Amino acid sequence: MASETKTIQAAIPKAMKFPISATEILRKRQSLKKELLGQANLIPTRIAILGGSTTTEVKCMLELFLLAQGIQPAFYESGYNRYSEDVLFQNPDLWNFKPDIVFIHTTWHNISQFPQLMEPEAEVEERVRHEMARFASLWEKIHTELDALIIQNNFDLPHLRPLGNLEASESFGRVHFLLRMNAEFAKYARNHSKFMINDIHYLSAQVGLNVWDARTYWYNFHMALSPTATVALGQNVAAMVKSVYGKSKKCLVLDLDNTLWGGIVGDDGVQNLILGRDHPVGEAFLDFQRYVKDLQQRGVILAICSKNDIENAKEGFSHPDGILKVEDFSAFKANWNPKPGNLREIAAQLNIGLDSLVFVDDNPAERALVADQLPDVAVPDVGSDVSRFAEILEHERYFEVDRVVQDDLKRSAYYSTNAQRSTYQAGFSDYGEFLASLEMTAEIAPFSAVYLDRITQLINKTNQFNLTTKRYTSAEVENISRDPGFVTLYGRLADRFGDNGLVSVLIGRASSDTLEVELWLMSCRVLNRELELAMFDALVEQCQARGIRKIAGEYIPSKKNKLVAGHYAGLGFTRRSESSDDHQLWHYDVPKRHSRRTRFIRRTTQTLPTVSNA
Amino acid sequence: MPKMTREEFLLEMDEILGLRAGTLRGNEKLEELERWDSTALISLIVLAESNNSAQISPDQVVGCSTVADLLRLAQVDGSSS
Repeated sequence: MASETKTIQAAIPKAMKFPISATEILRKRQSLKKELLGQANLIPTRIAILGGSTTTEVKCMLELFLLAQGIQPAFYESGYNRYSEDVLFQNPDLWNFKPDIVFIHTTWHNISQFPQLMEPEAEVEERVRHEMARFASLWEKIHTELDALIIQNNFDLPHLRPLGNLEASESFGRVHFLLRMNAEFAKYARNHSKFMINDIHYLSAQVGLNVWDARTYWYNFHMALSPTATVALGQNVAAMVKSVYGKSKKCLVLDLDNTLWGGIVGDDGVQNLILGRDHPVGEAFLDFQRYVKDLQQRGVILAICSKNDIENAKEGFSHPDGILKVEDFSAFKANWNPKPGNLREIAAQLNIGLDSLVFVDDNPAERALVADQLPDVAVPDVGSDVSRFAEILEHERYFEVDRVVQDDLKRSAYYSTNAQRSTYQAGFSDYGEFLASLEMTAEIAPFSAVYLDRITQLINKTNQFNLTTKRYTSAEVENISRDPGFVTLYGRLADRFGDNGLVSVLIGRASSDTLEVELWLMSCRVLNRELELAMFDALVEQCQARGIRKIAGEYIPSKKNKLVAGHYAGLGFTRRSESSDDHQLWHYDVPKRHSRRTRFIRRTTQTLPTVSNA
Repeated sequence: MPKMTREEFLLEMDEILGLRAGTLRGNEKLEELERWDSTALISLIVLAESNNSAQISPDQVVGCSTVADLLRLAQVDGSSS
């Protein structure tokens, strides 16, 4: 029943949070699944599992962990060890299934032939090329025929080593051979955008090879992984799928005292904080700061939420051994107010949902309060031992990304400059004057090949300013960008404070004299800047140039997109009589002469090549 | 860790099979249980391993036809009653 549905974060059962209990998950899988299916707004996806071994357990665990991420999968499973045949011989069941994602679950058991003892290095390399060609032929066929994203296991290592340590150093050693294969798989992944590696080489090391590859399950069921290892695999693959659907967390909110340094900065003074290589606990705090800095540099937004006087809180970052600096944080709340309220303000300031926040605090009472009052916020049970903080964050896979694009690297800067804009705005009594003073320029143009990754990322993670919340895979975006039947637009916005990057996307399908807008979204970091008006101007100009006389818009309400409920009405669209509250339909007659709506944004010329139709 | 009692084992079996607690009595035929499949079989083996009970091999489980057979196999306290 809708009234009993839970938010995604609140729905995750305790057994599936750190420390994960594999045994409990395996025993309670039926009730866990039932519980998770009670969530609202599950995103459907279609996953084909092509197995080099038995995959029943893999499917069960993947389903549980996907449900815990708010994603409801439908599955296709290949027959035992039919991963290759199903693709090469185009199994009609697989083709009719039309997967969004193909997960190829192969392991070292699926190497067709390992090198012979004393085989010359050149022949081993030839064997690597042969094995690569075998896998690449599958991947190419999946890409061209099924148009699906591929998640491919790299290789784990066998736990038995007949050659002992020579397995790793001799070119004919099996460990050496598998590592060569992993390097080739990685090279392929770097060069193909619809291809991701599920790193079971790392995962098996984390689980431990003796637990990972329990022989009894292989001999009895031809399961390449033990049930316990399958839990870890399910969690890892679900995190990858989550990232594809833009459901990874965006912001890490941190407490200060005994979280980023040892001691109480307001009482002890900055000079007495425990932080630095000369103290075992200080070194652990330093390493945690390093880890947080690494996250920030690859695009995770940082914020502070601390019970402190603001001056004391900021002074803590002047510690000579500290790695993090005040300017690394895009929001900084240090006061004596209850933390749930501060977290709400942080989310509002950054224009992101509470479900994008991960809150780390050494104080269990603060964690409990936030978890209770803000069920959308992820609150890992980090304990009070700083040496484990990073490990626990890693384990939960909060910040998994499917790729790192240039916009990610600048994200903190975007949010920090937004804070500058807010301060600047406070000096204006007239909002129009403020917008005019920003000296905004927008680059609005059809999709360009260099932006496809960012466009896909934005499509799959934007929830609030999103008229239809339709999700597209990178393959679909690429195809649409090449299809002359579509009108596509991206928008970049810059102002006197800096470049906001690519922040708006529009996709319309042209049919006879009508353009149906299937997707229109904008990042909330540029809300109320009139970029949507500039996008509308560009859309009308595109329609005029193509002889399109009508624009049809739709608004599909979701839990998060009430912000744009009045979008089409505001632009002067007329609501169509056949629309319903759950699916509003609007239309707009394209005028012969269009007066630009944009008042404060100057459009710049786009110089990048569009996607080739070749 | 002490071995499970017959009641505890039956409750765990209820959980594995997604049944309401207290459903299984011990005399049920496995083939008549809707969710008795390879997944449930593996969960049962993991349950036995995690409770330090008798090591159960899949072969032995496949040879069972009733829940009572499983109770005997797992050597839970009171299974012979």
